[in-house]
Amino acid sequence: MNEPTLGRFYLRALGLGALGAVVVIYLALIGMIDRFEARNIINGVLTLGVLAPALGVLIFAYRSTQPPKAWSFVPPAGHVIGAGLLAGGVAGLISAAFLFVNEAVALNAVLVNATPRMTDALTLGAGLPTGAALLVGAGLVVGLGAAALRLVPDRFRRPLVAALVAVLLLSLMEPFLRVVLLQLELPAIAHWLYEAGGLTLQGAIVTFIVVLAVRLAAEFRGNAVRERVDAMPAGQRRSLQIGALVAGLVILVLLPQIIGSFLSEVVGTVGLYVLMGLGLNIVVGYAGLLDLGYVAFFAIGAYATAILTSPVSALGSELAFWVAIPIVMLIAAVSGLIIGAPVLRLRGDYLAIVTLGIGEIVRILLLSDALRPWTGGAQGILQIPPPQLLDIEFFRPQNLYYPILAFAIAGTFVALSLANSRVGRAWNAMREDEDVAAATGINVTNYKLLAFSLGAVFGCIAGAFLAVKLGSIFPHNLNILVSITVLSLIILGGMGSIPGVIVGAFVLVGLPELLREFAEYRLLIYGAVLVMMMLWRPEGLIPSAQRRRELHESEDDEEQWDERVGAGTPPPVVEGT
Amino acid sequence: MSSAVHAQAPQPGPDATSTADDLLVVRGLTKRFGGLVANRDVDFDVPRRGIISLIGPNGAGKTTFFNQLTGMMPPTGGTITFNGVNLVGLPPHAIVELGIGRTYQNIRLFNDMTVLANVMVGRHARMKSQWYEAIFHLPKVRDEEELTRGRARELLELVGLSRRYEDSLARNLPYGDQRRLELARALASDPLLLLLDEPTAGMNPGETARMTEFIGRLRKELGLSILLIEHDMKVVMGVSDRITVLDYGERIAEGRPEEIRRNPKVIEAYLGKQANA
Repeated sequence: MNEPTLGRFYLRALGLGALGAVVVIYLALIGMIDRFEARNIINGVLTLGVLAPALGVLIFAYRSTQPPKAWSFVPPAGHVIGAGLLAGGVAGLISAAFLFVNEAVALNAVLVNATPRMTDALTLGAGLPTGAALLVGAGLVVGLGAAALRLVPDRFRRPLVAALVAVLLLSLMEPFLRVVLLQLELPAIAHWLYEAGGLTLQGAIVTFIVVLAVRLAAEFRGNAVRERVDAMPAGQRRSLQIGALVAGLVILVLLPQIIGSFLSEVVGTVGLYVLMGLGLNIVVGYAGLLDLGYVAFFAIGAYATAILTSPVSALGSELAFWVAIPIVMLIAAVSGLIIGAPVLRLRGDYLAIVTLGIGEIVRILLLSDALRPWTGGAQGILQIPPPQLLDIEFFRPQNLYYPILAFAIAGTFVALSLANSRVGRAWNAMREDEDVAAATGINVTNYKLLAFSLGAVFGCIAGAFLAVKLGSIFPHNLNILVSITVLSLIILGGMGSIPGVIVGAFVLVGLPELLREFAEYRLLIYGAVLVMMMLWRPEGLIPSAQRRRELHESEDDEEQWDERVGAGTPPPVVEGT
Repeated sequence: MSSAVHAQAPQPGPDATSTADDLLVVRGLTKRFGGLVANRDVDFDVPRRGIISLIGPNGAGKTTFFNQLTGMMPPTGGTITFNGVNLVGLPPHAIVELGIGRTYQNIRLFNDMTVLANVMVGRHARMKSQWYEAIFHLPKVRDEEELTRGRARELLELVGLSRRYEDSLARNLPYGDQRRLELARALASDPLLLLLDEPTAGMNPGETARMTEFIGRLRKELGLSILLIEHDMKVVMGVSDRITVLDYGERIAEGRPEEIRRNPKVIEAYLGKQANA
């Protein structure tokens, strides 16, 4: 170790600490800390308003304790702690300085949230100057925590982080889990675990210990369950898979009865986004056609359903939902062709821009006077009847859930089947290199149109359910944000991955409905989540096997090479493209 | 490699000389990019089971010629007749279906797909299952998929790619193996005519010798006709029945290897006027 490197190491920690302070100040200025104070994580111990800035600083402090690989410098424990303390301390110090500046200059003339209330939120009501010391102290504690986390051996750190995350998730899921527990008639557990919107202290401690113990056991004994499953004969493993599938289905079928009306409504909305995600995933994930105007199909589906079924529509056909759905799907497929045809020759960015425009055109058309007799302009179309099957009216969220679930399962099946076929391969090849795909025998025009059309059908079915879910439909439900949300959930879950679509929809659409505190910051959190995903996990939460390989295989190869030959030997150079 | 794999290959015919029954007949092919003439009035024949080389200095229009044969670029004028069918105006995928396969000078694999998937994509034109059949997992779709996978593995073996690579990504293969994979992908479409664009570029002498030998085997065992762009004269002279020389887009010579070797125009094109004087 040489001195200049050590200096650089601390300088880097200083910089990262300053970045941590920027995060804290930003959160304070947008009023997030103040609002989050109201949300308990662990009742009486920790609120979200404390946790959010602390986590921001922790991430930077943790990063500061390990120099970049290229420096080939491993700091000894003393310096790791030093760097953590420095980063955390600097973050606290700058935040405190910001509060003093705010008091002296009255920033709230420009920044509406820079009020004494913000100072109180950030200093837990201690005020200045006591609060300043508190902030610095808190920074140092967080920095120490970051260093400790770095110094703990891997096999302890992973369970530790898992246990902390489990506590956090369990607490954030309170609105959902508490209702489920009460519906399951387990009020004792609900009261023992939750209190005043957060976990109780004993609930948090027990959760932490249980998760920690389980994960530690997994680290030290290997993953016993997985090993036993792997060791099973193929037939037995297959019956186990089928058993898991059936169990999952049973839970899905019983779900709305357990979670009640409001949560069923939320899950129904998630289902719509799962459908759209599956559709857009075909277009973007498989075929590689970046479509930013996917809301167009959502809108077409919703309005087609409304016009076909509503008694007040100009058409006056008043079809039943189940009669209308096949017609809507047909309209969807044709609209996919109509929108797909003019953009066939466009690639990449150009395609994205044009489809973005198409999405807007559809929305503006729906608002326009020209189509007013049909679409009702800004007044939209009302009195869309709910679907009916025999005597059951799918009106309540708990009932409407079932047709949505059925279509989502069917859609998953269709998407999976296509992905693992000649068609899916052709789409992938097209995504990789359109010219070569054509010269390898793929009719690029047809396959692009097929992707657009199938995607459109998924989008239109989702739109049809939106129409019957709301009972009325207006252009303002159908804005660009829908396109962006669907694309974001695909990116979050993992391009080309169907489980990813489902998880992405739950995280991006379901969670904000549950976490009311976040509603106001929804877009900010989308943005932050996407940036973090791109930096740390570009393949998404649940990547398809292929994407995982794309992004990590070459790294693995290098690591394997290091293991075989010993570090320091450069891996073999792969020439060519 | 058993001959059964390539059941539809043409039967061995008489040795290559230009006849009316040539597999590929090109007449007056011209390609202009604005003022630049990349191919001017090129006449060209590939007899059945022939190995024909196309040589010429850099920028002579060889790859442009290939791109027109495969439908990737429309010719400005002239005709291309393959197996009795006029190719001009046909889209690339239709030309693949008629039986032309190609490789690229700068390897163009589907880099982020697996090795096996690359070859299976190559088989696309010979598969029949449609999307609506694939959705329902019809038994015939599954059967075709299995058959294709088996065929792709045979081809990987034929070009000498080890089985253990089949699930790694194409871009992680070593350079020479990438060339082999491209060849397997081209062969997967059961071509009658194989267009190879500098198949030995970047290879060491050992690999080059093996590739040369392999090209000969493709004709002998699969009955393919081969059109070769190549800079390595040892390969060209060793493997070709006949050679066509392009310079500034024009055909300046055509003949057997020993004729081309002595042709003063060719020597001039390659070495400049001084060397000939």
